[in-house]
Amino acid sequence: MKPSHTINFMIGLYIVIFFTYLFGPLLIMSVTAFNSAEFPAITPWECFSFRWFSEGKIAYDGQHLAGLLSDRRLHDGLVSSLIIGTGVVLLAVPIGMAAAIVLTQVRSQLRDVYYSISIMPVLFPGVIIGISTVVLWDRIAGLGGEGLVAEFGRNGIFLTILAQTCFISTYCFLIFVARLQRFDQTQEEAALDLGATQTQVFFKILVPYLMPAIASAAVIAFLASFENYNTTVFSILSDQTLTTVIASKVRLGISPALSALALSIIALTIIAAVTYEVLRRREEKRYVASQEKFVKEEAADSRVDKDYKAGFRIPKGIVAVILLIILCSYGATQIVKNDLYGQSCIDAADKIKRAKFFDQLQTLESNQLTDEELQGGDLGGNQDYGDIFGDPNLFKDFGGFD
Amino acid sequence: MSNLLFTQPFFKKNGRAVAIYFLVAIIFWFVFLVIIPQLYMLDLSFRSNVPPLARGGPRDFYTFEHYQHFVFGSKSSIDAFNFVALGVFGRTIIVSIFVTIANLAFCYPIAFYIAKIANPSTARLLIVSLIIPFWINELLRSFALRILFANEGVINNVLTGIGIIDQGILFITYDVGLYTGLIYAYILLMMFPLYNAIESLDVNQIEAAKDLGSSTIRTHWRIVIPHAKPGIVSGCTMVFMLTVGALATPVVLSSPNTLWFPQLIYQWFNMNDNWSRGAAYSIILLVVSVIFVLTMMKLFRVRIGEIAR
Repeated sequence: MKPSHTINFMIGLYIVIFFTYLFGPLLIMSVTAFNSAEFPAITPWECFSFRWFSEGKIAYDGQHLAGLLSDRRLHDGLVSSLIIGTGVVLLAVPIGMAAAIVLTQVRSQLRDVYYSISIMPVLFPGVIIGISTVVLWDRIAGLGGEGLVAEFGRNGIFLTILAQTCFISTYCFLIFVARLQRFDQTQEEAALDLGATQTQVFFKILVPYLMPAIASAAVIAFLASFENYNTTVFSILSDQTLTTVIASKVRLGISPALSALALSIIALTIIAAVTYEVLRRREEKRYVASQEKFVKEEAADSRVDKDYKAGFRIPKGIVAVILLIILCSYGATQIVKNDLYGQSCIDAADKIKRAKFFDQLQTLESNQLTDEELQGGDLGGNQDYGDIFGDPNLFKDFGGFD
Repeated sequence: MSNLLFTQPFFKKNGRAVAIYFLVAIIFWFVFLVIIPQLYMLDLSFRSNVPPLARGGPRDFYTFEHYQHFVFGSKSSIDAFNFVALGVFGRTIIVSIFVTIANLAFCYPIAFYIAKIANPSTARLLIVSLIIPFWINELLRSFALRILFANEGVINNVLTGIGIIDQGILFITYDVGLYTGLIYAYILLMMFPLYNAIESLDVNQIEAAKDLGSSTIRTHWRIVIPHAKPGIVSGCTMVFMLTVGALATPVVLSSPNTLWFPQLIYQWFNMNDNWSRGAAYSIILLVVSVIFVLTMMKLFRVRIGEIAR
């Protein structure tokens, strides 16, 4: 297919727009993590700083804004997210594997029904899976009195593992199904003919063949569990995971500490993705090499035996890396030159803000109403409410905000 | 029994230990994790809302009140119908349909390009870069859009800075952020089924159509789209169901005065402590969206077994 130049250009433009839509928001969010201002923004750029990655800041008005390292709730959430992720991997991978293998053995008339049931959990809204799990275990815990069962039934982490396993098993199932479609049944038959038992066939032939699928299913299961919110928010009950902590923070107001968290996660993700891709390519190369060797040995023909020397090629990716380095160093020099980094810059910015804050405070104080104005007046003063605000005992038992 | 279900005798084929592991795993999953919880939720949705201690007592009876509440509102209200819940529900369904269509429209050119036009190394690079954003938490992706669309956010600041507008546009209030975020959230789930379906089409068919004088649009309409139909339906089903049930994106991006239906469920469940009503609303959501999807499949003549293949 040879599309014309205009069409080619349009397609190129469209792809650029599409990927801008995918990556633009993430890039901008990553940049805001380095702005020292309290609100994640780019344009009123205050100072370049790493404060949101470390301890955060205490604002000029005494408000404490936690950074990544100093946030206790985030740490607790992270720990329970890791526990849940591990639990889900341990349950979902074996379930998905069993279901996928059995799919190959089910009669063809039943296969569609079986397959439909298996993929159903992914199509259920996550909210519903969370709710139904909680409802079931609340009932079970209610029946059992105060035993171990009740303990488990009211444990958010346990419930979350079960609820997430319900649909993450389907992801694993699909991965195993894809791998099993290319499985050569004659291998099993050969092993059986050579006197292996069925159990041996399973452990010596099938499981090794499925190993790559087991690995990727485990990774996918862990990631899916780690980033799930819809199900977790119901089933976690009174505990917290990383995602529910993030959600409650976002609802309270957006802070650059979240940008910092997102950037850390993005960095980890990219490293993982690149490692995975490199490993896969190496594997592929090894496979191709072994095939070639096999062909050569089989053919023993000089035509195939042509060892062409690969010349030294500059990989295309290097251009992007060099561009990135140039851009970063340019940005860094600009930042240092304009005194946008370090304590002095932050102090200066704080000073300006503090001055503004006190200005506002003074304006407020100059507008203060007198006691008399507060008590009476036409605007519904304290007396209109039966003087409840004047009663010092009224809020005595109120615990206060934490 | 065994012959009815399996092609070969199950225990003999797998060996006893492995067969038991298979059975336990599958029954645990299907029965214990999928079916029984749903049945209990269905049961709860027909019960009156009583505190745990009063369960089984005289106040715990079967009733349709929660479903009635969804349609007609509480008994004390003066409106004929429960306009809040029905409105939120209708809006959720309609917006989800549009989100699905938008996703399909956005993904089709890219999927076709990667599958049929790009050379293999470019295609692989594009696929990897498609996947990367979707390994990042849905909440954080929505948060990224929130930074862009907030009233003091990046877009407003830039636009006012350049001088195109004098006042910030209220993206969040008018739910522009929410719609963008919903399209953003599940676009990958449209991309991959589409890509897989188009990829399996033989290029010769497209070339043949071209040689016989068919225009580009006609080629797509008559050759590519019919071939990719299972992929299109499976992508649309997944995107629609996930959008209808989305909670994370609306929590971050919806304006304070509009609700997404799962948020309403969340409110009944967690804030108003009325589990029965939350369960009833969940059942309504599940049933309506499943019926909708099945109808669409019937209309486009696709079987459920073809989904997610």
